[in-house]
Amino acid sequence: MQKQLKAHIDRLKAAGATYVDARWYPVEEANYLMMWNGNLKETTSSRESGLGVRVLYKNAWGFSASSDISNLSTLFDKAFDNARVAAERVTFPVRLAEKDVIQASFKSPNQIDPFDVSLANKIDFLKSMDEKLNQPGVVQRASEMMFVRKQIIFLDSEGSEIEKNIIEAFPAIQVMGVDSSGETHSRKFIPDRLGNSRGWETLDMQLFTENAERIVRELNEVLVADPCPKEDRSVILLPGIMFLQTHETIGHALELDRILGYELAFAGGSFVTLDDFGKLRYGSEKLTARADATLTNSPGSFGYDDDGVPAQDNLLIDKGILVGAITGRQMVEEANARAKRQIFDGSSGANRATAFYRVPIERMTNINIDPGEDGSLDDIVRNTEKGIILDGDKSWSIGSNREQFHFATEIGWLVDDGKITKVVKNSTYKGETVKFYNSLSAVGDESTWVVHYVDNCGKGQPNQIMQLGHGVPVCRFDNVRIGE
Amino acid sequence: MKEKIIQTLTSLREYASSKKVDAAFSYHEEDSYLMRFANSAISLNTNEHLIRLEITVYEDRRRASYEMITDLNKLDEMKQGIDTAAEMVKYAMPLNYQPSIPHIKENYADMQGFDSALGSMTGEEKLAYFNEATKGLETDKITLSGIFSSGTNILAQISTKSEYTQYFQTSDAQVTIVLAHADLKWEVTAEQSAQKKDDLKPEELHAELSFLIDRYKNEPAQQVPVGSYDIVFGAAATAEMISFMNWIGFNGGLMKRGFSFLTEDHVGKKVFSEKFTLTDDPSRLETFPFTRDSMGMKREAFPLFVNGVFQKFTWYQDDADEFGAQPTGHNVPHKSLVLDAGDMDVNSLQDLVKMSKDKDILYIPFLHYMNIVNPSKALVTASSRFGTLLLKKDGSVVVPYNVRVTQSLLDIFGGKVAWMSKAQTAYNTSSSYGARNPVAIVVPKFIRVNDLEISHSNSSY
Repeated sequence: MQKQLKAHIDRLKAAGATYVDARWYPVEEANYLMMWNGNLKETTSSRESGLGVRVLYKNAWGFSASSDISNLSTLFDKAFDNARVAAERVTFPVRLAEKDVIQASFKSPNQIDPFDVSLANKIDFLKSMDEKLNQPGVVQRASEMMFVRKQIIFLDSEGSEIEKNIIEAFPAIQVMGVDSSGETHSRKFIPDRLGNSRGWETLDMQLFTENAERIVRELNEVLVADPCPKEDRSVILLPGIMFLQTHETIGHALELDRILGYELAFAGGSFVTLDDFGKLRYGSEKLTARADATLTNSPGSFGYDDDGVPAQDNLLIDKGILVGAITGRQMVEEANARAKRQIFDGSSGANRATAFYRVPIERMTNINIDPGEDGSLDDIVRNTEKGIILDGDKSWSIGSNREQFHFATEIGWLVDDGKITKVVKNSTYKGETVKFYNSLSAVGDESTWVVHYVDNCGKGQPNQIMQLGHGVPVCRFDNVRIGE
Repeated sequence: MKEKIIQTLTSLREYASSKKVDAAFSYHEEDSYLMRFANSAISLNTNEHLIRLEITVYEDRRRASYEMITDLNKLDEMKQGIDTAAEMVKYAMPLNYQPSIPHIKENYADMQGFDSALGSMTGEEKLAYFNEATKGLETDKITLSGIFSSGTNILAQISTKSEYTQYFQTSDAQVTIVLAHADLKWEVTAEQSAQKKDDLKPEELHAELSFLIDRYKNEPAQQVPVGSYDIVFGAAATAEMISFMNWIGFNGGLMKRGFSFLTEDHVGKKVFSEKFTLTDDPSRLETFPFTRDSMGMKREAFPLFVNGVFQKFTWYQDDADEFGAQPTGHNVPHKSLVLDAGDMDVNSLQDLVKMSKDKDILYIPFLHYMNIVNPSKALVTASSRFGTLLLKKDGSVVVPYNVRVTQSLLDIFGGKVAWMSKAQTAYNTSSSYGARNPVAIVVPKFIRVNDLEISHSNSSY
């Protein structure tokens, strides 16, 4: 197959294409199980294979994909023809940043391939979780697990040839209850990524058991809690909500295609401009953020992106100053040219596609906040006069340029004079991105830092769902409006 | 093509029956094209031809599914899928209710929504459409973004319960044009939904965009104070709110699970304004309707709210099985929601700007990134985007920076509704996540709601 793909790549090059690549998925499998209130509602497996072809011709992109690879000529020709039409409306010529020619492979670290685990064992795990969640106060309970295994072979006209074999496991449990006024509340547990692997072994029964007990207990506390007050307080974000704050207001805001206006038709833009790099005080000096695709245990690590660029660890925000972005080969060239200065030295290796039938775009890798020097969660609480601890994403809504946001969380604990006083329900907070990060007043140490994964990040047209991670500590922000 | 698809499904049914496997098959084929514009160029021109097959196997109270992306030449691979699902179901845990197997009672084909001229539009034609819709509007600073998404969609079904098949074929197009100022970052948009090629009218988009561009270029911009406003929502904003209502409102299964602001006690009670009549009406071709559901049930107009009074919940078959409810023909990829028109004679944004006003009105055409803050209270939050205007009582127009609305749908569509326009439009709410599934909601072009709170107001574009 690779020989045939190379021959067609060469054929299009000879026909005038300046760049061609092919992503062949010999197989992508998924397995999804979901138990709801004791009923195994979903027992689903899936399998797909196919080929996506990307062609650069006269400075414009064309793409075509099909699950039917019996006629490769037609598929490559369609991609070429799509580029030919696109070339009729070019305002900024597409150029690709330099990269090394790479012939390599990547395998995600796993001890136990979840596809080697029997269905019976998986169901036993869910059944055990379901029984543990079936407690007083819980009216709805759900346990689920999703496994993905895919093989991707990438070839391009520059001579790169990369094979990736990736396995992921995404388990979660959730409980719901109804309070005396008839409102539904929920609490969930998605395991942080511990250890150095990504297989079945990450489903640690003891960890799940402890957390099943915790979320049931916390749900019952929320069910009898007072509403969140409507006032200004310091918010102490646990990793269970700090990951999403980071995702929405640092990650998406720093995708270079958004900054350059490539997502305006749908997802939106970014308040960040090219002039801001190296100058904008994004946050207080306590804020250092990075895009690190080299973490071993996260779905945001994939060896090589779909431009064939190796995974990297790059600073985005250095002690509060904006210094980097999430980039691919095309966008860094365009950004440097538009800015008339060298902002980016090359692609940061973050151009990814969700499937063979989608085109790669800038996606988050692992967008992390470095741990700080403000101690443990207990230390931060002790040093907070009037605050609220928040955890568990419930709702999130962000302005189209990522300039402002509104989040709701599953649970809140009020903090007064250095002590946790009570649990509150319907907790929310809102803010303006730059003002918010500049109010960052405490960053927890390594003891508070965990890697949280995201398995459903949506972006692009046609839409793409991507998996990634966030390594984040506990963070405290001051003077934030809550309860609206 | 239709014959080959039916023949393939029939062969799969025969194979399953020969192995004494109870199974249902759902075939989905899409031929999708998307031309995407950014920075006034075609940033992506793509097409995907994908065939998906979903096999669901039943054994007593157990159920398992196997999904594959495949092609029609791979019958053996599809049969292996049946074997895999049949093996999986043995290990599945019995449900505490009896799941229903689709039982199609007669051969049925619905191709009334298919227009080959739309499905086969060339790239050159789409580019010409965009060029006409934006003629003279782009500058060095005002750049074009947008999409022209079009395609053909086929859904076909069979089960081992009968030899009969259902076949649906539609064509669709969704056009979004955004003109944005590169430095100031304001954005205006115009959109069009098409079920047939004749629905495409670039001159209408040009008129809308011209009007908005004039306002954004020439009228003063300002941060409006937070507080109470009378708001006119445009079609995109209304359709988005109806979409969310579809999710956390009248879905019987979600109601039973506590994710709805409606309860069984609301049936027959007044929930919204008497101006609010919402129907699931599969006779409306512009909604890309399904006239049968996947269980073989015939679908007819299904009233959800009549003059604000809640009529009944919709039920997926599986939820109906679990909760002992009567299925309502809603095992479909999407409903065909139609919000009745009102009596206000406002057909265009120009009309709205011209009409006399008793006070200042905030016009919000589009709500960005809506999410549910509290499903039990129907509390949602979102930001305005794309062409928001403050229409002053004295007839002048101000361009406000974007604002955030955090309100309950019960308030928005409740007693605060002042009027709805006579003019309706089909607003395309299709998402391209997963399989192609064109959907549009018919709504009044404009709805005025008095006394709603703006909780945040941006200090710039």
